[in-house]
Amino acid sequence: MRALIPVLITVALVYLLDRPIGSLPALGKLLDPVKGWAANAEPAGKDFSGNIVLPSLHAPVSVWYDEYMVPHIHAANEHDAYYVQGYIHAYFRLWQMDLQTRAAGGRVSEVIGEKALDFDRKQRRKGMVYGAERSLEVIEQDPRTKEMLDAYTAGVNEYIDKLEYRDYPLEYKLMDFAPEEWTNLKTSLLMKYMADDLTGYTEDIELSLLRDMLPPETFAMLYPGRDYSSTPVIPEGTHFDQALYKQAEVPAGDLWAHLTATDFEPAKESNEGKGSNNWAVSGVHTQSGAPILCDDPHLGLNLPSLWYQVQLQTPTMNVYGVSLPGAPGIVIGFNDSISWGFTNNYRDVKDFYAIDPAPGNKDAYLFDGKAVPYKERIERIAVKGKPIFIDTVNYTIHGPVMYDAHFKGPGGLKKPIALCWMGHKASNEMLALYMVNHAWNYMEFTDAIIHFQCPAQNMVYADCAGNIAMWGQGQFIDKWKDQGRYVMEGRDSSTLWGQPIPPQENPHALNPAQGFVSSANQTVTDSTYPYWYNGYFYQLRAWRLNELLSKVSNATVQDMMAIQQDVHSYLAEHTLPIMLRYVQANDKHIEELKKWDYNLNAESTVATVYQLWWYYLYKDMWKDMLAKDPVPLAPLPERTMELMIQSDSAIQYHLQPSLGKLAAVINMSYKEAQDSLSKLEKTNSLQWYKAKNTTIKHLAKLPAFSYEERKIGGWGNVLNAAKGDHGPSWRMVVQMTQGIEAYGIYPGGQSGNPGSKYYATFIDDWTNGKYHRLNFLKNSSQKDSSIKYTWTIQNK
Amino acid sequence: MRFISTILLTTILAAISASFLPWWIIAVAAFVVALLLPQKMGKAFLSGFLGIFIFWLSCSLYADIANQHILSGRMAQLFHLPGYGLFLIVAAAVGGIVGGFAAWGGAALRQ
Repeated sequence: MRALIPVLITVALVYLLDRPIGSLPALGKLLDPVKGWAANAEPAGKDFSGNIVLPSLHAPVSVWYDEYMVPHIHAANEHDAYYVQGYIHAYFRLWQMDLQTRAAGGRVSEVIGEKALDFDRKQRRKGMVYGAERSLEVIEQDPRTKEMLDAYTAGVNEYIDKLEYRDYPLEYKLMDFAPEEWTNLKTSLLMKYMADDLTGYTEDIELSLLRDMLPPETFAMLYPGRDYSSTPVIPEGTHFDQALYKQAEVPAGDLWAHLTATDFEPAKESNEGKGSNNWAVSGVHTQSGAPILCDDPHLGLNLPSLWYQVQLQTPTMNVYGVSLPGAPGIVIGFNDSISWGFTNNYRDVKDFYAIDPAPGNKDAYLFDGKAVPYKERIERIAVKGKPIFIDTVNYTIHGPVMYDAHFKGPGGLKKPIALCWMGHKASNEMLALYMVNHAWNYMEFTDAIIHFQCPAQNMVYADCAGNIAMWGQGQFIDKWKDQGRYVMEGRDSSTLWGQPIPPQENPHALNPAQGFVSSANQTVTDSTYPYWYNGYFYQLRAWRLNELLSKVSNATVQDMMAIQQDVHSYLAEHTLPIMLRYVQANDKHIEELKKWDYNLNAESTVATVYQLWWYYLYKDMWKDMLAKDPVPLAPLPERTMELMIQSDSAIQYHLQPSLGKLAAVINMSYKEAQDSLSKLEKTNSLQWYKAKNTTIKHLAKLPAFSYEERKIGGWGNVLNAAKGDHGPSWRMVVQMTQGIEAYGIYPGGQSGNPGSKYYATFIDDWTNGKYHRLNFLKNSSQKDSSIKYTWTIQNK
Repeated sequence: MRFISTILLTTILAAISASFLPWWIIAVAAFVVALLLPQKMGKAFLSGFLGIFIFWLSCSLYADIANQHILSGRMAQLFHLPGYGLFLIVAAAVGGIVGGFAAWGGAALRQ
């Protein structure tokens, strides 16, 4: 009987330690040194070399790992190359692949519980799975992408199938779930995840309110869309061929939904764009005489990194670059003959329609005077520890009703709003990447990118023959003026999307006279482009970049790296003189600002002073105008800057009766900034890198697995765009000499395992602005001293 | 002498079975040893605790030294512990407590 108490305690202990409780993982399983955490503590001197048997391969494959753990996959055929790429992605990055595709398809609640339910619902209602299913159909209809993706998926599953608990990536043990079978749909979801990340931002609802709120001329002045002094992606003066379609005409009738404050319930959500830089300099301006191509897409800075470096070699392909774990092929990189890179294009391909429910019939909506039944799509969302949540999403002719009274939109918008998004269309971006990976010249490159429909990208190109080019590539619609800029009335067919613009009419430039092409998310074209478009364009980095590139001559790869590392603030250069002219304070900060060179260097304290001052100034400038707006959207900083420079009536028109008011805002904001500044001074964090705290964050947001306060300068509006959680996710510089001279680095490491020496290998060099020479092997290469480990893979 | 041999026997039995059975086999191992080798209950708890503690600590040290403390350092941060050494000890103690209660149960049943 006396034994009962200790036995019961033991059983209770085992029971409690065997399952997660609250936010605690199953501690018994995790702390067990045999199969738990210690199984993920990879020996620092691990010899990765080995013999592997993968029976599904058509022929033996060898994989060479270099000192950075970049695999060079040598396969006798394409099937085997993609199969092994899938196997390797899973080997090093499985948990990340799982989590990102769960996030894409709205299946996060299944593993972390109810707190992710709103996120999951939003993903489903946005039509992520719907779009991914449609695209998968066309991916599987094309024999090339079908073979590619089937092989990749089989390779991933080959790895997953052999896993036991002790082999699971650590995060599975921490979050207490298990890997599941990979599917082609998951890869398609990942592509839509990127499409959403890059084209998901919209201002339609915000602009709808502002347009009704402000006098038309003020609205046009403050929110000009694309039409101002940009140095566009496609150089000014580029000749555009006669367009196939006429610019669509604005239909008659009431096209716009009018939103009022009563359509909203108080709520708050913020959205932020992502930017990138890419450019190519013609051989005329380089020391080697060969073009140099540069790219640094600015994306979320996470661990494991979004990117994974790999080289793929088959008799028909030799390509190196970064891949997305979860998808076959190379996204950004180069092969023997060409190199390419992307920035986000930001033309608007996501529009909202206000839906009128049919009177007396909750299953239908009004369209062209008739009650049209919704097509229902049932979304079943598994929730850990709770019953399945069922969401019925109504699909209209425009697309899914994303927001309604059951799932409110930005600012608490209750009105039913349907979403029409290019990401819902069936498209095969994987084929574009497949063909680019195989392309030998400009013709083949342009044939390839036509298949890249969403997310639209500014695609920079350079080749060994000496060509440079830029394409504003994506699928776009021949829109009438302002179509889709505001929420449209969905009850009339006149507001439907019209003809798709033929892809060969997308704006592009080949070997322009200026000797370089560049993009930094600015306006795509000058006003001579024959089709109307709007978008979410940023100008500050572009102005700076084009200023620097127009002076380049005899350029080396080091010069190009210096431009990627440039931290000069164009905004500060043009606003600070005005701010200093009107400020009345005269303290040590003001003295320092007067001597400042406008560079946002990591250790600069004066940079922090300016940035904080600007932050408050910008906020105060538009505060009154937006006070009653449920979804306040201030004019862009670049627009604000221009208006300050012009010192014309624009700013005062609505807010300030005279320039005296601008001076008041400048002084008020300087005072407001003092509070934050003294707080930072007290904690010894006035240095810019401490104040902005660039963090490479683990995907599960665990600080223990993240790298905080990187000592790096820059900001989102300067070329070295290292912000708090976004920044240059892959810096690449490629000189197109024979044999290719390439450099690159991303803030992460090739292994996704926090217990691996290779988890964060590149972070310090990335922070310090160093690059690694990329080890691009020729097809006939012999193994040399750069190769550390070898996988010899047999098929029997 | 018996105290030391029960500790060692617990360590060995747990180590052999844990490589192919779930983590909680440590409780069974400590329980069985205490059942076979009679001890006072207090001593049984201590030998069960130490038997499993030694097993978990040595096993994790083996992995951790080869890993150059990369992961144990991160795990320590995760659990808000000041250093990897303390993490290893706390983790081993969790196993030890399970072993201790199980051994106590075994000894009590024997009496």
